[in-house]
Amino acid sequence: MEELMGILKDLRPDVDFENEKALVTDGILDSFDIISLVSTLNDEFDITIRPANLVPENFDSAEAMYALIEKLQDEE
Amino acid sequence: MASEIFDWIRRSASVHGSRTVYSGNGETVTFEELDRYSASVATWVAKRSDIERPVAVMTGRHPYTPACYMGVARAGCFYAPMDGDMPEARLRQIMGVAEPALMIADREHLAIAEALSGGCEIAVMEDILNAPADAELVCAREASVTESSPLYMIFTSGSTGVPKGVLTSHRSLICYLEGLNEVIELDEKDVIGNQAPLDYIAAVRDMYLPVMTGAMTVMIPKNEFAMPDALFNTLNEYKVTTLCWSAAGLEIPAKLGGFADVRPEHLRVIVFSGSVISNKYLRIWQDNLPDVTFINQYGPTEATASCTYYTLKGKVSDDTVLPIGKPYKHYQILLLTRDEESGKYAAAAEGETGEICVKGPCLAIGYYRAQDQTDKVFIRNPLNSDYPETIYLTGDLGHIGEDGELYFHGRKDRQVKHMGHRVELAEVEAYALTVDGVTECASLYDKAHELIYLFYAGDQTAKEITMRFRADMPAFMVPRRIVALDEMPHLPNGKIAMKELQDRIK
Repeated sequence: MEELMGILKDLRPDVDFENEKALVTDGILDSFDIISLVSTLNDEFDITIRPANLVPENFDSAEAMYALIEKLQDEE
Repeated sequence: MASEIFDWIRRSASVHGSRTVYSGNGETVTFEELDRYSASVATWVAKRSDIERPVAVMTGRHPYTPACYMGVARAGCFYAPMDGDMPEARLRQIMGVAEPALMIADREHLAIAEALSGGCEIAVMEDILNAPADAELVCAREASVTESSPLYMIFTSGSTGVPKGVLTSHRSLICYLEGLNEVIELDEKDVIGNQAPLDYIAAVRDMYLPVMTGAMTVMIPKNEFAMPDALFNTLNEYKVTTLCWSAAGLEIPAKLGGFADVRPEHLRVIVFSGSVISNKYLRIWQDNLPDVTFINQYGPTEATASCTYYTLKGKVSDDTVLPIGKPYKHYQILLLTRDEESGKYAAAAEGETGEICVKGPCLAIGYYRAQDQTDKVFIRNPLNSDYPETIYLTGDLGHIGEDGELYFHGRKDRQVKHMGHRVELAEVEAYALTVDGVTECASLYDKAHELIYLFYAGDQTAKEITMRFRADMPAFMVPRRIVALDEMPHLPNGKIAMKELQDRIK
């Protein structure tokens, strides 16, 4: 979780990732953020995020992203 | 003669009446409603403003926004679209240039509109759309302007640090749409999938092609662009046939592995523009949609959206260099070279690289309240001493290939295309220098990774600089890599050593 928080803070230092719960739904992260995030997460956690995983529910909060990462790591 | 655009609105209302013209944000507007709403907006404006004056429109991504734009036009005025979600400081700059006497805002953006208004009168969109229209007044206003009258003013990044308002006439827009539709041949069976924000030049085709051709436009929700399955499901749900997207927008679903589970089923033609598209991602689209026609488009806002196009003849490979093609109807292209010493222009020799210049009725009127900037790039054709003829210097370089097609070679200056947006690196620097503690800086572009860099010296943290950018500048102008240096590298003449910084990026 700490590593993920580090990546998120690097990506968008202006966003409060501890408390925001609607990052995609409210448009706080835009499509360019998502692209950059997906490629960083794939590299750093050795996972493959697939189009089917790209739904707002998986990216609306840091916890949701962490859950997705864990799920994908289990599948590998 | 009054503008043909007014005829399109009336004619499409009588021919297509109850059919949907725009759909988006869970709401729809029919052709008949577009005529009625825009007449109501025109009535409100006409009662308060002379013709040929700016009206700021701050409304969201929904089907009522084009009705507001067209309503302003029908009052004989021109609209300045504003994205109310942009940082307030940016909006203030734009208001400072436009100084509109009237503003239209939807309820969602009313608070920010009021904060910016500086005393100008604001209409709440929801209140005026259904107000009774004064048909006689609207007709009189429509008849009082000509196709040379300004239609809209769209703001773009300016190297001086202040955005430039590109003012465009009815005639220029009509020329572009006629040229484009001669190639893509839309009719009432087509459905356009809108990607561009409505305050952008790229949205003019999505808003006006329907009234011209009877097609319908679907405004795709913004956050679906990062969600390829949701995006393609939307295209299928509405049976979208036509996309006129930025190259960056087209690349995103391909980058994110789209097409694995869902693919668009109804597409017929895809037009892309705004930057040089990556062959890799274009090829993914081509492989998945073999029957779709792909068209590469090129052109600056100052020449009304796009001036040249190239219809792809086969699939691209890694080493394909796509031409930007040939001019649309109503556009002419010149390639000029300039002698550094004498400053004299000449026509580029066969195959030689020159600056791409545009002439014809497609040219914008100029920059609003910026005569000096206008005179620098809208100049008298230096090759024609016989009669006055205006050309626009795009600042882009190109050459005509052996195949007779035009090829693009990048910029003469420091303007870059970042994620489909036009960004002056000088404007990024000008803003960074306003942050306390930043004493010197330089902005560079890493094209391979699509990142804006900012190198700076001074007593300030990168985080604070990012926060300041985020607060004041549109997201696409925020540098994603901010590097603190003890001292900026300099050349012997005192200028910043850009080459040295460039090497640090690689």
